[in-house]
Amino acid sequence: MTLDTIDVHHGYGTETVFDGVSLSVRRGEVLAIIGPSGVGKSTLLRLLALFDAPDQGTVRYGGEPVWQIPEWQRLEYRRRIGMVFQEASLFDASVRRNAEYGLRVRQSWPDRIRHELATLVGRTNGTGDAIDALDTVGLREKADQDASSLSGGEAQRVAFARALAYEPDVLLLDEPTSDLDPRNTAVIEDAVLEAKNRGIGVGIATHDMHQAERIADRVAVLLENDVIEIGSPETVFENPADERTRKFIDGELVY
Amino acid sequence: MSLEPATVAPLLAEFPFEWNYIRSIVRVSLYVSITAVALSTAFSLPVALLVGFREFPGKTLLASIINTGMGFPSVVVGLVVLFTVSNEGPLGSWDLVFTPEAMILSQFVLAAPVITGVSLAAVSSVEQNVRDAAYAMGGTRFDVALVTIKEARYGIATAVLAGFGRAISEVGSVLIVGGNIANADGTSVTRTLTTAIQLEARQGRFRTAMILGAILVALVLLVNALVVRLGNGGGGRYG
Ligand SMILES: Nc1ncnc2c1ncn2[C@@H]1O[C@H](COP(=O)(O)OP(=O)(O)OP(=O)(O)O)[C@@H](O)[C@H]1O
Ligand SMILES: [Mg+2]
Repeated sequence: MTLDTIDVHHGYGTETVFDGVSLSVRRGEVLAIIGPSGVGKSTLLRLLALFDAPDQGTVRYGGEPVWQIPEWQRLEYRRRIGMVFQEASLFDASVRRNAEYGLRVRQSWPDRIRHELATLVGRTNGTGDAIDALDTVGLREKADQDASSLSGGEAQRVAFARALAYEPDVLLLDEPTSDLDPRNTAVIEDAVLEAKNRGIGVGIATHDMHQAERIADRVAVLLENDVIEIGSPETVFENPADERTRKFIDGELVY
Repeated sequence: MSLEPATVAPLLAEFPFEWNYIRSIVRVSLYVSITAVALSTAFSLPVALLVGFREFPGKTLLASIINTGMGFPSVVVGLVVLFTVSNEGPLGSWDLVFTPEAMILSQFVLAAPVITGVSLAAVSSVEQNVRDAAYAMGGTRFDVALVTIKEARYGIATAVLAGFGRAISEVGSVLIVGGNIANADGTSVTRTLTTAIQLEARQGRFRTAMILGAILVALVLLVNALVVRLGNGGGGRYG
């Protein structure tokens, strides 16, 4: 299952962000998207997450152009994609309820209402998958705490777990570790690799070249409104085909 | 008034009748105001979500109607509602003049702008990030709306209580559309706490008026205490 963009043009108002971007996220790989601040990494992830329709060009899931079908059909594709934002953005509820959210919206309404009522009377017979996902990021024992009581790093790990809980085919991460210490970063990176080994396709925007080297199978370099280069970390970091890539990596290109 | 046994005894003898009277007034007041606030809430929440998050023609106009409505004089609302339900008005065939239902209608008109306005402030303060997260995890637009309401729950509860405070304590519109009617046996038909106080005071029955006033103040204090508690409870977001 592949998520891809074909010749996408996109912008905000009169400002162009993409001028013909083609890129794919494949199952069982980690694709790192690197590029200077403001180049459009978050914008690209929002397009891949089917949040926004591109101004021009095609976004496809498994070969299906998702903006040519009605919203209720697109929902089926959206539900195979998980997205984690740079800020954790947790709900003002328990850690467990945060982790369960994706599973709950996929339930039938009678089941959801029954679940809500059970929670109201304090019976939290938590869904196994949500607890497993919390386990992946080492936060199983915090399930019954308030999300607001977590540290920033823990909150980001919960944000990751709740996108993992419903077992998406594609996971999109927007600089998930940029505010984290090395230990929390390692937890997230391990979880990314575990997700990949389960066959999930991961797209991760990052500022951290070392992170891209550590976990990526392919690296896409976003510069000047386009993906100027895409390849294995070895090629991109050590032997780039595009001169601009080398300059960006060497820090000579200052944006 | 002194509390010598000699003066208290006759008052107590009179009490059962008075007590039934007061109880029926409280019942009518609560029925009218709670129903009006429930209906206003059901109407106001979707409106607040629409105004808060959607662009549509006439949005600015609607927002200023809400703001104006929050301070609208209740007698004028009463007048307009009375006309609406009168024989000449569009709802004339419903026969609502001087009924509790007419009072519900006028309190609905009074409470809805308050509840909409305060809810709008509450839902607007929900972070876009949190709404995006609900959508990203496979939520529909309806799920995003539910999440927004849950996140804004303390502010929305404050809005509902503020609407209730306005409804239960206003006198102008219920007097006009309800007519302050009681049965011969002294039970209230459309007599509320506020209209009863107005009548009892005018007729010099200060004791009854004072009891009714104390009940009204107690209700409003209770509501305000709840608002303050919710305000404290809403403070603890993660950060
Ligand atoms: N909602 C928006 N409205 C208008 N312009 C926007 C909006 N979102 C992003 N932009 C602009 O689009 C460009 C790309 O922004 P984007 O957030 O995608 O960059 P980024 O690569 O993720 O940056 P960073 O590394 O700082 O997160 C920027 O110039 C930004 O100002
Ligand atoms: Mg970004």
